[in-house]
Amino acid sequence: MRRASFLILPVLSIGLLPADLRDDLEPFLDTHCYACHDDIDNEGGLNLLDLKLDPENPKNRSIWEQVFRRVEDGEMPPKKKKRPAAEAISKFLKQLEAPLIKADRLSLAKAGRVNARRLTAQEYENSLHDLLGIDIPLADELTADTGEGFTTTAKTQQISHFHLNNYLRVGDLALKEAFDRALKGDAAFKKELSAKEVCSPGRGNNRGPQLWEGKAISWFSRLQFAGRITKTKVPANGWYRVTIHSVDAVNPGKDGYAWGTLQTGSGYSDEPILYHMGLVEATSKPTTVSFDGWMQKDHILILKPNEAGMKSAPSKGGSFNFGKRDLGKSGFVGLRFDKITIQRIYPNAPGRLVHSLLFADIDPKKPGENPAAQLSRLINRFASRAFRRPLPSSLTQPYRQLALSELKAGKAFPQALRSAYHAILCSPYFLTFVEKPGPLDDHAIATRLSFLLWKTLPDGPLRKLADEKKLRDPKILHQQIARLLAHPKSSRFIEDFTDQWLDLRDIDATQPDPRRFSNFDIPLLMSLREETQSFIAALITENRPVTELLKSDVGFLNTRLRDHYKLKEVKLTPGKGLQKVTLAPGQRSGLLTQASILKVSADGSVTSPVLRGIWVNERILGRHIPPPPENVPAIEPDIRGAVSIRDQLAKHTDSTSCASCHDKIDPSGFALESFDPIGQFRIAYGTKKSSAKVDPSGVTPDGLKFDSFFSWRKIYLKKPEMLARAFTSQILRYGAGGDLHFSDRPHLEQILKQAAGKNYGLRTLIHASLASQIFLSK
Amino acid sequence: MHISTGKPLPRRTVLKRAGIALGLPMLDAMIPAFAASAPKNPKRFVGVSLSLGLHNPYLVPKNDGTSYTPSPYLKSMQDIRDEFTVISGSSHPGVKGGHTAEASIFSACPMGRGSSSKNTISLDQYMAKHLGDKTRFPSLVLNTSNQRSPSYSENGAMIPAINDPRKLFNTLFIGDSPAARKQKREITRGGRSIMDIVRDETKTLERQVGPGDREKLDEWFTSVRELELRLQANEAWIDKPKPKVGKAPSSPDRNNAPDIMRAFLDTVFLALQTDSTRFVTLHCSGNAVRALEGVEESYHSLSHHGQSGEKLEQLAIVEKATIDRWGDFLRKLKGANLIDDTMVLLTSNLGNASSHDNRNMPVLFGGGGYKHGRHLAFSQTNNYPLPNLYLSMLQNLGMEADRFATSTGTMKGLV
Repeated sequence: MRRASFLILPVLSIGLLPADLRDDLEPFLDTHCYACHDDIDNEGGLNLLDLKLDPENPKNRSIWEQVFRRVEDGEMPPKKKKRPAAEAISKFLKQLEAPLIKADRLSLAKAGRVNARRLTAQEYENSLHDLLGIDIPLADELTADTGEGFTTTAKTQQISHFHLNNYLRVGDLALKEAFDRALKGDAAFKKELSAKEVCSPGRGNNRGPQLWEGKAISWFSRLQFAGRITKTKVPANGWYRVTIHSVDAVNPGKDGYAWGTLQTGSGYSDEPILYHMGLVEATSKPTTVSFDGWMQKDHILILKPNEAGMKSAPSKGGSFNFGKRDLGKSGFVGLRFDKITIQRIYPNAPGRLVHSLLFADIDPKKPGENPAAQLSRLINRFASRAFRRPLPSSLTQPYRQLALSELKAGKAFPQALRSAYHAILCSPYFLTFVEKPGPLDDHAIATRLSFLLWKTLPDGPLRKLADEKKLRDPKILHQQIARLLAHPKSSRFIEDFTDQWLDLRDIDATQPDPRRFSNFDIPLLMSLREETQSFIAALITENRPVTELLKSDVGFLNTRLRDHYKLKEVKLTPGKGLQKVTLAPGQRSGLLTQASILKVSADGSVTSPVLRGIWVNERILGRHIPPPPENVPAIEPDIRGAVSIRDQLAKHTDSTSCASCHDKIDPSGFALESFDPIGQFRIAYGTKKSSAKVDPSGVTPDGLKFDSFFSWRKIYLKKPEMLARAFTSQILRYGAGGDLHFSDRPHLEQILKQAAGKNYGLRTLIHASLASQIFLSK
Repeated sequence: MHISTGKPLPRRTVLKRAGIALGLPMLDAMIPAFAASAPKNPKRFVGVSLSLGLHNPYLVPKNDGTSYTPSPYLKSMQDIRDEFTVISGSSHPGVKGGHTAEASIFSACPMGRGSSSKNTISLDQYMAKHLGDKTRFPSLVLNTSNQRSPSYSENGAMIPAINDPRKLFNTLFIGDSPAARKQKREITRGGRSIMDIVRDETKTLERQVGPGDREKLDEWFTSVRELELRLQANEAWIDKPKPKVGKAPSSPDRNNAPDIMRAFLDTVFLALQTDSTRFVTLHCSGNAVRALEGVEESYHSLSHHGQSGEKLEQLAIVEKATIDRWGDFLRKLKGANLIDDTMVLLTSNLGNASSHDNRNMPVLFGGGGYKHGRHLAFSQTNNYPLPNLYLSMLQNLGMEADRFATSTGTMKGLV
């Protein structure tokens, strides 16, 4: 019913729109726009004089939407020209907004905002893990999601025979694992290595730990593969729990800790890549630590202290030659421990559960009198879970037929079943979101919610509510959002969302120049992402105001981060890793002072106020910066003679067409110049006396002056609504799988209104977003 | 823009730091035995594209014709002067968008900026579609740093690139175990019946959803059909042994973009030599160039030189090294007598990276049996359509094409 009325309304009015409305806009356009945007000047390629108002045409609508936004933002007419009166602007905007919204709604009602959204590689992996009970990595086997923006954005998701071929291949890989485990049982493997065994090197040079007074000590060394423990080789690809017993630090330094890394790899140069398993923060108190990690067949453990600036243990010709020397006495840093155990684990589910996910209560070796009926039952059950809705029998018929024909051809029951499952895993009903235009049905809502907050298929309770058609009930919807957010699986949402929203997935994309940043090391690198993710998770859980993204008394630090930030006064317990701390006012706090953000927005060598400025505008302030202008040689920047980056940019901003964007971009970038590419506070570009001083001052686009990052921040702390709009847009774009439309404006404002009373708490914003039409309709 | 800074952090972050140097497997045991079975004179195409352009004033020679004076970038290429042509003053008509025009390097499709408009088939994929069935790999799509590529399928989907030289080498030359081959056969066989089902489902689904989804599902439909064809073609290759080659090329330095390009081209050379494929694109989009002597900043920041002498000096080091690696590739092809059958292109979507200008694309074109050694200079202000070169290339392959994208004819002056 609802959809029908949607369709009828605008059809009637559209035909009447253009002429009348264009006339209404005429006086404003004439007075303020035509001077530049006419057929003669055609400034910026825009001739408004001859541009019809034909919002039904998407291209035409998008031009008028641009006009609307630029007038609304006060960018047009340009500052140098005479500004129209406030009433004139608001009248113009109102007149223009109505037809644009109307036309946009019509197009949304017809086609929807999100078309055939595909599971991301990570969502695919999680779903298969849930369906089959397996735990092997699958996402990296698929074609990477490479579209611009969020991986969930349907519009930029690609499909080609390469993608399909990978679904075919990886589906088979997953099913092989599941059927093998269900039919042959889980592999058991446990190895306990004494200190003595740990310290007996295998082939090649000795680069392993030293046996000292009955314990093993792993010393820091820059030798490749130093710290390798050859006897830890594992027999097969799989998850392993590694336990290092009673580990403490030799010469932990005056603050009482030493950081080390646990890595895996072949340990030899014919296959040199090392994989990170975990960080070890050793203190003078012996502690037993455990790590779960994926290891490849024949790989070993490599454990060593691994901080920048540590002194390398003595070696000769690629081999340790410390013999019986007491290196502890000579001040070298070591990790000392009793023994190591390695045990094969199945973190997702044991084999018997895999068995019941595949075969329910049926014995695949003796499927009984009527194997065809059993196959049908299992296939219907599997497809209904994979496709996330009740299915008409006609839909599962081809799978049943496939399995039956295999059975007839003499294949065993499990193989026939596996073929059908394989086909189900390649189906567009599994791989895409099946949504009809208009308001979503309950099962589509369950799918969107679950893939947003848990990154996987809906669970039992959610599915039940969908079957009962209760998810459109606002109260129940609210409860479910709260339930999903409170569950540990929501950490997948935090990780995936922040990986993309804040570019944390690029944390290791650039390697800080070791000549300039010799203090950058693996313990720091591996702490950065976790710091920011823990921070965002806490703000959401505690429903903190959106302004705390910029400034907060909540922080997450470990001793390595505390050293990096020079926050000596923050109390931490060494050995406990990342800890929640209360930061004093005035201290660095909030996202933009976190080294993760400062690193991903730089390139490893230098910072660019432009790149950082764009980053802050797009990600935090919600100002979209269009790509740089094209093919206009007249505006080619000429920075000869410019000494500092600031001078260089001043040369950009001399030109009006550059300035219209750089006025927005540069100020935030200038403010962040106080932080170097790895997030350290700086007052000069270098340590020499002659080094140029950092000048973090500037003027915001609305004319407010600041002289430091901290005073820049103060300006935006007073704009909670702006920050909330930006955050909400990110959540909606990521969650719904499509960009926001012009006609979403009223919905967005409604969400903000609802959250205003709670100081725009992040959790309130998420709840309101997911209850909005933007999320709940196609 | 797709200046790559790397791929998403995998679940188990790979640490490639100083002290954990990379080395490719030593394959001494393998005997070089270059496929003697390679047919005579199969024609090939290798398109190398750069995401950050080449500084026009250092690249383009001052005078045209066969007696051009080498520009600073071309001085080191004089020993192979007769193996390539410099083309200046050409570009893809209507292609704009600065960095975003990357997607149109080989398709020449004027997509505009909105991601809603679609790309068309790229030159290499067009070749592979018609002539790619003769080799194990119809085409190779490569990128030095991420999985993005300027290679697009017929329905406008980007072909994901192989971005790891070691993986490329293994794919080309390391044979599958008997168990893996058995599994491949099974997937191929089972895959066809599965694709039958998926094809029908796609059609059923199209009837149930709105017009927006139908368009996307059409892409599914074409993809299914293409995969069916490929599964059929692949079946024949599963049990054929992969060619044996010598050592894998040495692995590159992570902070030296031209060296990464070199590692890929070394492997591409082996692929051509063994006739494993005939159509290749390699997109160079790395940003780390610090390992080059005299270079301090990142590649992208240098490309925005704004005429600053200090930046241009560093940029020239990077770009010179890039061109030199491309020249080395030509030399190798020449040494192996492959050059006259292999058309090798070096170009970029950016004619001027500092101002994001897509006109005056840098173009070096070598091999393929043409009379090279000249500078074809077209107007810098009124560009000549580069798709004409693409049409010439198609005809060089013996294809009866009379148009590619916005071509207006074959390339003027290319003989």
